[in-house]
Amino acid sequence: MNRQKLKKLGLELPLFPVTSVGSFPKTDAVVRARGEFRRGKINAEQLTEIEREATAFWIRKQEELGIDVLVDGEQYRGDMVAYFAERLPGFTNGGLVRSYGNRYYHKPIVTGEVKWTEPLTVEWWRYAQGLTKKPVKGMLTGPYTIMDWSFNEHYPDRKATCMALAGVIRSEVEALIATGCKIIQVDEPALSVRPEELPVAIEAMHRVTDGLNAYFITHACYGAFDLIYPGMLELPVDNFDLEMSNSGLDLLELFRRHRFTKDISFGVVDVHSHVLEEPATVRQRVEQALTVVPKDQLWIDPDCGLKTRTVEEAIAKLRRCVEAAKAFRN
Amino acid sequence: MTLTLAHSGSYPRIGDSAELQLLRRTIAGFDRGERSAADLAEAENQMTRLAIEEQAAAGLDVVTDGQIRWNDPVSYLAGKLAGVRINGLLRLYDTNFYFRQPVIESRLQRQGELAVSDLQFAREALAAACKGKPGSRQVKPVLTGPYTLAHLSLAQAEELKALEPRVEAYAEALAAEIGALADAGAETVQIDEPSILLHPGDWQIFARAVGRLSAARDEARKRGRKIGLLLYVYFHDCAPIYSKLAALPIDGLGLDFTYNRKLADAVVESGSPIPLALGLVDGRNTKLEQPAEVAREISRMLPRIAGDSAWLGPSCGLEYLPRDRARAKLQLLGEIRSAVEGR
Ligand SMILES: [Zn+2]
Repeated sequence: MNRQKLKKLGLELPLFPVTSVGSFPKTDAVVRARGEFRRGKINAEQLTEIEREATAFWIRKQEELGIDVLVDGEQYRGDMVAYFAERLPGFTNGGLVRSYGNRYYHKPIVTGEVKWTEPLTVEWWRYAQGLTKKPVKGMLTGPYTIMDWSFNEHYPDRKATCMALAGVIRSEVEALIATGCKIIQVDEPALSVRPEELPVAIEAMHRVTDGLNAYFITHACYGAFDLIYPGMLELPVDNFDLEMSNSGLDLLELFRRHRFTKDISFGVVDVHSHVLEEPATVRQRVEQALTVVPKDQLWIDPDCGLKTRTVEEAIAKLRRCVEAAKAFRN
Repeated sequence: MTLTLAHSGSYPRIGDSAELQLLRRTIAGFDRGERSAADLAEAENQMTRLAIEEQAAAGLDVVTDGQIRWNDPVSYLAGKLAGVRINGLLRLYDTNFYFRQPVIESRLQRQGELAVSDLQFAREALAAACKGKPGSRQVKPVLTGPYTLAHLSLAQAEELKALEPRVEAYAEALAAEIGALADAGAETVQIDEPSILLHPGDWQIFARAVGRLSAARDEARKRGRKIGLLLYVYFHDCAPIYSKLAALPIDGLGLDFTYNRKLADAVVESGSPIPLALGLVDGRNTKLEQPAEVAREISRMLPRIAGDSAWLGPSCGLEYLPRDRARAKLQLLGEIRSAVEGR
């Protein structure tokens, strides 16, 4: 594990650190407030106040559960790309496109040079970290994913768009580090959509992380990892946070064929299912993980963000993660 | 030399105005039990009419029904076949769109028409859009091909667990549908096979399935029908298997030029023994192409294409764009043709 790097950053984490991927379900108060805000019944400050309370709730919950590396729960974010696109010069909000069934979203359009002019997530990180002594991760969406999930009318091609966004995300990383953030997650769920573009994603991540002093994690999910493994290990991060349980741990087969060289945040509970895993099931998954990575490299978390679960389901699933870690520490 | 403007499949089923939210609202109401199946069908009809009107208004010679009724390119057809259950969501290739995956549980069989009634509705809508004078304009039915359907399906039925029998089973069902579409007067039918670009190693299985479909076309022609078989590939680089695709027993080949700028070179170099549908207008990005630039590419390729004839269309269906941009892309097709013709 990059224990040495963590130590140098002043972070002493237990064996099998427990974390989560990023989003938690919006609390009832936030859901209500967002509706009222849309209907003009409350203003932006009132909404923010409720989001801050919900963030404090989730920080408290994570501490109570015994989670080691916390997240702010993203109570104030909607879509993981739109959050950034709405705040960055160079983006225009596009019309509606369908994502599946009867679900539509506004897909952003890059219409000019994308620029970082001010911090996008730093205030929320500072607030969340101020509520706890445990480390809180900085949470960003990666340049390749923002590129892939947007239209581009400005840059000559996908790579140029991606590299411009990498510069923007690097500025945000620098701002987080300057504020004291030591563990930063740069999510790339789109990593495997075009396997032939993996080198672009890697080059972009170099631009985001090279020479910067933080422990970097990247999260990827619903991927065709068989098409980008082991090449994806070239991504310059310390830790891969991967959806494992939803696919019946079939990635392990790949890791047996070619050694997994990074730290891994191993998804031990399925976020797409209402069903709460039995403790024994979760322990078996950890055991399986230990057949492919040394214990020093293993972190434990849910497969993906928990925002589609209910608050109770999310807490129950997180508890399973903590229980499993404790069982293996003893 | 002829350049025909032809759409390539889907069209947005929504727009930003309240009127264009009709289908979305009706589906939501239907799910809450507040709207009937008849309301839903009428909303689909209305959005289909609008999709056809917008294509006609943009001057397209060959329109589709916009696939407004299709939940996705896979489950709409597979769900109409006996022996298939529709399962959870999966990402469709490298898009940010999700389809429902079919699971084949028992013998897969066509139990009724798949696209004939849609064709009939679309024809009437086209005639209405053209004030009763569609002239030479035609509606082109679109079917997802057997290889792609099989590739994106799971099988629980033991005998269909291997890819090849699964492809054959779908090919059999689609062959019957091609016959039915021919009998209903379809002049062409578009078969979408994007999966073959990602898995060229399955070529033999794929080519046999295309052979089955072209046999159905030949049988229909023996009955005096006019039908032509068009194969469309997109969502990946077509260049590596371009020559093999162009040699298939089909009447036209639709190509996506957006993944590899050198595809046009390959066409110029090898030529084409069959007419091509040139997907030079990007159906996946909002940026509007420069008509003069696209026209140059077309002028380079046209003399190398059999019969000097080609269709011009978007690189794939237009559902991946917001409606205003989809409409702008259709308009662009006419501007490009004018540029090619030096007007
Ligand atoms: Zn995820």
